[in-house]
Amino acid sequence: MDARTEAPLRLKRTWSSVFETGFGARIYPYFLVFPAVVIVLGVVVYPVISGILWSFYDVTLRKLVSGDVAFVGLRNFQRVFEDPAFLQASYNTLIWVVLNVIAQLGLGLALALLLHRAIPGIGFFRSGILVPWVVPSVVAVLTWRWMYDPSVGIVNELLVRLGVIDAYHPWLGDTATSLYAVTVESIWKGTPFVMLLLLAALQLVPRSILEAASMDGAPGWRKLWYVILPQIRVSFAIAAVLTFILTVNNFNAIWLMTEGGPLNSSEILFTLAYKYGFQRFDLGMASAVATMLFIGLVIATTLYLKLMQAREGD
Amino acid sequence: MTISAASESRLPTMKPASASRVHSRSHVLRRAALYVSLWIAFIWSVFPFYWMIATSLRTREDVFQRPPSLIPHTITIQNYIDLLVGAHFWRFAMNSLILTFSVTLISVLISVTAGYAMARHRFKGSVMLPLFMLYGQMFPPVLLLIPFYVQLRFLGWLDSLYGLIPVYLSYMLPLCVWLMRGFFSQVPHSLEDAARMDGCTRWQAFWKVILPMAQPGIVAVATWVMIHSWNEFLYASTFILSEKKRTLPLALSELIGQYTTDWGVLMAGGVLTAAPIVLVFFFLQKNLVAGVGGGAVKG
Repeated sequence: MDARTEAPLRLKRTWSSVFETGFGARIYPYFLVFPAVVIVLGVVVYPVISGILWSFYDVTLRKLVSGDVAFVGLRNFQRVFEDPAFLQASYNTLIWVVLNVIAQLGLGLALALLLHRAIPGIGFFRSGILVPWVVPSVVAVLTWRWMYDPSVGIVNELLVRLGVIDAYHPWLGDTATSLYAVTVESIWKGTPFVMLLLLAALQLVPRSILEAASMDGAPGWRKLWYVILPQIRVSFAIAAVLTFILTVNNFNAIWLMTEGGPLNSSEILFTLAYKYGFQRFDLGMASAVATMLFIGLVIATTLYLKLMQAREGD
Repeated sequence: MTISAASESRLPTMKPASASRVHSRSHVLRRAALYVSLWIAFIWSVFPFYWMIATSLRTREDVFQRPPSLIPHTITIQNYIDLLVGAHFWRFAMNSLILTFSVTLISVLISVTAGYAMARHRFKGSVMLPLFMLYGQMFPPVLLLIPFYVQLRFLGWLDSLYGLIPVYLSYMLPLCVWLMRGFFSQVPHSLEDAARMDGCTRWQAFWKVILPMAQPGIVAVATWVMIHSWNEFLYASTFILSEKKRTLPLALSELIGQYTTDWGVLMAGGVLTAAPIVLVFFFLQKNLVAGVGGGAVKG
């Protein structure tokens, strides 16, 4: 609006008139998208394709330097499957993803329902609950690592005071608890985002529907199950798929707390691929694991897009 | 702790159709339950943040005191002084700043025209391209990591800040385009038509009429890129090798010692790294939340 009211539009003929007619007009949209498409081809498409191709080559850092890279078919995949660490990492990834997705969606929904009402002070609570989402991930992870400290960590102290444990426990240093300790951090960090998505969806639910349900005297859980959830089901599914993708790709939490240890007890496929690539410098094996992750994520993404289209169709 | 928040959250929605006296008492109870669960959720969310700040303000003895106390005995800014004077904090902050600024500028400039074209014009690929951009966002970084490493090594860009720019663009640009497209499609068509009637060329109508209208969306996207570039860790830690080129998150992670870690200084660094993001967030909260709730998801 401003541009129209501030100054009367008396614009001179400029170089941009080329796009008004004929050939210029036809290429105009292509001209606009061209830089973005070129960059995406260069920094996304090309690396993805070469990443998949690397997984079929016997390539280590030294061989890469000498140029002695040989095609080995599925050998890399075979070597990955023979590594017991891969089995452990797959199992851990499953636990990691299931726990994170269920907890973040459950808590996210609960928080969204809590915050979705106009009561005094709700803005204060809403801002506070968004804090984990705002804090940079590295900072958050390092803070939690400090809180889990085995000798002076506040988590230990609080749990002892609450009577949950008798003595301080090395949460990140024990193979039995390391993965779960990191999961708690990840849930803390990820839940507010889910809450935001679901809150946005809840606010689109027509008030009349909720009021009608209340008038009929439906108890809370029935209202939730039969009235609210069906209304936000697509957003809920989108949140689930997004959480899945973000969790599979959550490197910072695991790497900065445990580096996948001790004894691979908190290793997920992402960190395993990273170790193959940048600690053993076996780029072929790393690419093989990454390719498998990629296929899983493509399936999830396709699902996500289908859901988005369903939502636009609603 | 949080489980209780989940179950109690349903209480307030219950509405037994009963006598009004009972109703008002249960109403008070429900209110109380609601606030209790809100406080639990609030403390759970904010506590680690509090703990970071509290640790950063403690003396060295206080940090390693056992058992730890919830409230610092004495408050000192010694950790901040150590960090700002001793370590190369300023250099790291500068590195982060330059990188963040470049990535933001490039992604916004490039995504703004592309997003507009995809929202407004019909051309070959105008349906497929946006979907493709969304896919681009989902590619796992670990798959891109190795080709990037090989490529940067080949170009001699390993261990350089400018080498990180294309790498960051790989996960910023696709979603930027997607978000921009969402914002541009909300600007009414009629405005552009009016400008064209008044004698604007297509480019002028875009530049002088549509762009100012889409400004809130552009600010949201720019902020989103800024926050993510500022926080990025994986690529920086893999491709930056020498100490003086570290970004802030990388420098923070390097403060973790093999045997002992000076947590007071580390947490002070955490506070200073988080501060710009938290500030930006609270100034632009409305924009960002709209970006997540509206543009990103609804498309």
